[in-house]
Amino acid sequence: MSTEKLALTTNSGARKPASAGGAHNSLAAELTRLLGPRKVLSNLSERLNYRYDAIQFGATPLAVVLPESTGDVVAAVRAARAAGVPIVGRGAASGLSGGAAPTEPGLVISFTRMTRLTIHPERREAQAQAGVITLAVSDAARPHGLIYPPDPASFRTSTIGGNLAENAGGPMCFKYGVTGDYVRALSFVDADGEEHHVTRDAFDLAGLLIGSEGTLGLITEATLRLIPPATHTRTLMAHFPEVGACAEAVSAAIAAGAVPSKLEFMDRACTNAVEDYLNLGLPRDAEAVLLVDTDGDDLNTVQDELQLVADACERAGGTVRRAATDAEGAALWRARRSVSPALGRIRPQRMNEDIVVPRSALPDVVREIRALGDASPFRLVQFGHIGDGNLHPNILFDPRREDTHAVHDLAHQIALVAIRHGGVLSGEHGIGSMKRDFMTDAVDPGTLKALWNVKRALDPHLALNPGKILPAEGVNG
Amino acid sequence: MNNDIPVQTLGGQGEVMAHAVDACVHCGFCLPACPTYALLGDEMDSPRGRIVLMKEVLEGGLPLLDAAPHLDRCLGCQACVTACPSGVPYGELITAFRGWSEPQRQRSPLDRAKRAAILKILPAPKVFSVAARLGQFAKPLAPALPAALRSPLDLLPESVPAMQPSAAFTPARGVRRGRVAFLVGCAQQALTPNFNAATLRVLSRNGIEVVIPDGQGCCGAAALHTGARDEALKLVRANLNAFNPDDFDAILSNAAGCGAGLKEYPMVLHGEPDEARAQAFAAKVMDISEYLGGLLADGTLEPTLPASRPLKVAYHDACHLAHAQGVRAQPRDLLRAIPGVTVLEIPEGDLCCGSAGTYNLEQPELATQLGARKAKNILSTQPDLIASGNIGCHTQIQSHVRRQGDRAPVMHTIEILDLAYRGEL
Ligand SMILES: Cc1cc2nc3c(=O)[nH]c(=O)nc-3n(C[C@H](O)[C@H](O)[C@H](O)COP(=O)(O)OP(=O)(O)OC[C@H]3O[C@@H](n4cnc5c(N)ncnc54)[C@H](O)[C@@H]3O)c2cc1C
Ligand code: SF4
Ligand code: SF4
Repeated sequence: MSTEKLALTTNSGARKPASAGGAHNSLAAELTRLLGPRKVLSNLSERLNYRYDAIQFGATPLAVVLPESTGDVVAAVRAARAAGVPIVGRGAASGLSGGAAPTEPGLVISFTRMTRLTIHPERREAQAQAGVITLAVSDAARPHGLIYPPDPASFRTSTIGGNLAENAGGPMCFKYGVTGDYVRALSFVDADGEEHHVTRDAFDLAGLLIGSEGTLGLITEATLRLIPPATHTRTLMAHFPEVGACAEAVSAAIAAGAVPSKLEFMDRACTNAVEDYLNLGLPRDAEAVLLVDTDGDDLNTVQDELQLVADACERAGGTVRRAATDAEGAALWRARRSVSPALGRIRPQRMNEDIVVPRSALPDVVREIRALGDASPFRLVQFGHIGDGNLHPNILFDPRREDTHAVHDLAHQIALVAIRHGGVLSGEHGIGSMKRDFMTDAVDPGTLKALWNVKRALDPHLALNPGKILPAEGVNG
Repeated sequence: MNNDIPVQTLGGQGEVMAHAVDACVHCGFCLPACPTYALLGDEMDSPRGRIVLMKEVLEGGLPLLDAAPHLDRCLGCQACVTACPSGVPYGELITAFRGWSEPQRQRSPLDRAKRAAILKILPAPKVFSVAARLGQFAKPLAPALPAALRSPLDLLPESVPAMQPSAAFTPARGVRRGRVAFLVGCAQQALTPNFNAATLRVLSRNGIEVVIPDGQGCCGAAALHTGARDEALKLVRANLNAFNPDDFDAILSNAAGCGAGLKEYPMVLHGEPDEARAQAFAAKVMDISEYLGGLLADGTLEPTLPASRPLKVAYHDACHLAHAQGVRAQPRDLLRAIPGVTVLEIPEGDLCCGSAGTYNLEQPELATQLGARKAKNILSTQPDLIASGNIGCHTQIQSHVRRQGDRAPVMHTIEILDLAYRGEL
């Protein structure tokens, strides 16, 4: 049994050191000497709060640093290296793959105080430190007539550093792309405490850092591309008596030439969880609900595109409702953004999958996953950015009453469905520690070896976020 | 969040706490809403972090003393409750936790004396009035005093008027349309007697007769939220005896903090014999703006006279109205119903003003930072008038707005309505 399986429960007791760390540990003492007490956390009460993200509890760190500048990051990395302990970067800890949860005691560097943000309207760029909250970029850009399109559902909480590290996506990514598509340059601190500034040319080292989940370097700052928003947006909701029909409608609409700006789906359990929370009047009986935005500068085109989608939905047996007002559209999108946390009302724990499959395979995949869920003792729900084929099947469970190994097995089955249909393990949440075991199913041994070589080249001491993404060498490879 | 909180040994309040911890999925959606997280940027001073700390203490994995500094910094503003999509009852958790933990706290003699004094003085309007006026004399000395003594003085408004006890019964003017009971509150009676006078006038004007039941006292919120559970229980039971919910259409409060406190009675008495009574009581409790807002929505609110000139009113959402009671629209609707009034929205409107009961006394530094930020945000809207529905916010905002050199009047929503009815706005 792997430690990852054990760590599926949030019961932290087993991994909590009673005494390690504390004011007396030498790493904390050295960091405090270097950075001053304000930026270093060493009490147990403080360190206990830096062992989790939104999905998992991990090992309690020995010390936590809250840097206020790149210089602080450099000093902290060097001190941790000298002490020979692992280093985990952390943003808002809204991650859903255990990325920011340490797998062993070490140093956590939390970027929440590095929040400098400058907008350069003439270059259509934002210069953001790692701890800037995603929403803050859009808010600061808006007065200049610009927007920052990557919009994970967690955009009010998550940080730019975390978004880059996970290559976060969102409802807008079907038309506008994911975080990585908006990064022009970034600065990072490597495992030896050296600072680097990289752009997208030559070896595209920036591209390598994006989506590397803190395993190759610590991102300190990024130059982000901004765009002017579309003049017109139209929203529709369609509901279907069966999940596969919803996926068929999506494939048909895209085949017909529609490029919606957002295309999101949620199944019946999600709709009901959101209704319980927000009471928006969503169709509780529908097996699947599809939310669609089309946008652009020419209203006729925007409406024509929406019509293409509406027709495809109706042909697939769906019922279509157009949002009459902007407020109605906004309420529908609020529903979608609330799915994930609203599920917490049903069961205290969930295993969140993040598969991507070719669009043509969508109807089969959602049906197969539905069948897996129905045959299991667990509540399984599905939602996701269906336009990209990015699905989030979630297994809801209560670790006190239900078997966490069976949960893990079901998650594995789901991952295998995706792989069988030519898909991948993660669209946006990352592999982290949650899906690390499945990497050997998804990636051939030669490729895994290449990934390890990259890791060794940038992090020769294997100090950065160990236990994430790459399965231990020699496992099936 | 999975936990091993020993509910069997903790009883009714243990169930309240374990339920809240269970419900949290540690998604972090509450973080940006939290004022202390906004100021300090660390996880221990965020709602999610505090939930984990309380869980650890309750499970026995962390000494209370270690968690206490971070839990003490919580304003109890409940902005996290509004932000939380999983419906975590954070307010109930922290209140129950403070009640459970306070008896185990070791506090310095000065600290204990200060807390005891606050809890003695706050609920006794007469004592408070005298203390406040004594404090008024001491105010010029404030700069020379140590912080612990200076902060209570900062709380006091510019002038402390004489006590004006309210009549036990106020008849309806014109046709009688309803009958309500009114909680007169404690500190507020002494500091701002006009809040109550205006409330009685406006209700009467609307054909509502008002009873101020004998034997009522402080709502108990201050005691409860500082962890003095036994004192709080005495006050709660006294009010349950004083107000018979069957006799009234509603039980009204015009102080957001007190209203929220009254609505918490069922939670306070969870698992105890009086729970059902508390539920019947709480079902009738309404904020004054909630009640009048209902009349407005029914089209039965008496129209006011127009304001004498166009007035821009910045409306401040008191945390205990907006977050704890979910009352946001009604006060704005009432103000907008006055011809000539425009309601302005305040930037960062959901962020607490830093008053939060006794917070000014316990955490003067954070309270001051928040107060200054709130005043700056309010003044950025360039209001003619500032409105709120809570005495604590009122004094805090007034003091910080003045410090920033602005003279815009700060008033209770009901005072503005009252002026409009009298043609004096
Ligand atoms: C309710 C909910 C909804 C969500 N919806 C979406 C969604 O729609 N789309 C989506 O993509 N994600 C979504 N997520 C997942 C999560 O919000 C994203 O992965 C987000 O990008 C994480 O950002 P963070 O700041 O919270 O990072 P964290 O969780 O703190 O960290 C995530 C990873 O990044 C690393 N990291 C953090 N900062 C740095 C840095 N400065 N340098 C190097 N590495 C770093 C960490 O080590 C970790 O591996 C959702 C999460 C929740 C709870
Ligand atoms: S938003 Fe709610 S569920 Fe999420 S961490 Fe905060 S309290 Fe917990
Ligand atoms: S009640 Fe207010 S201060 Fe306390 S944790 Fe919640 S948001 Fe923060």
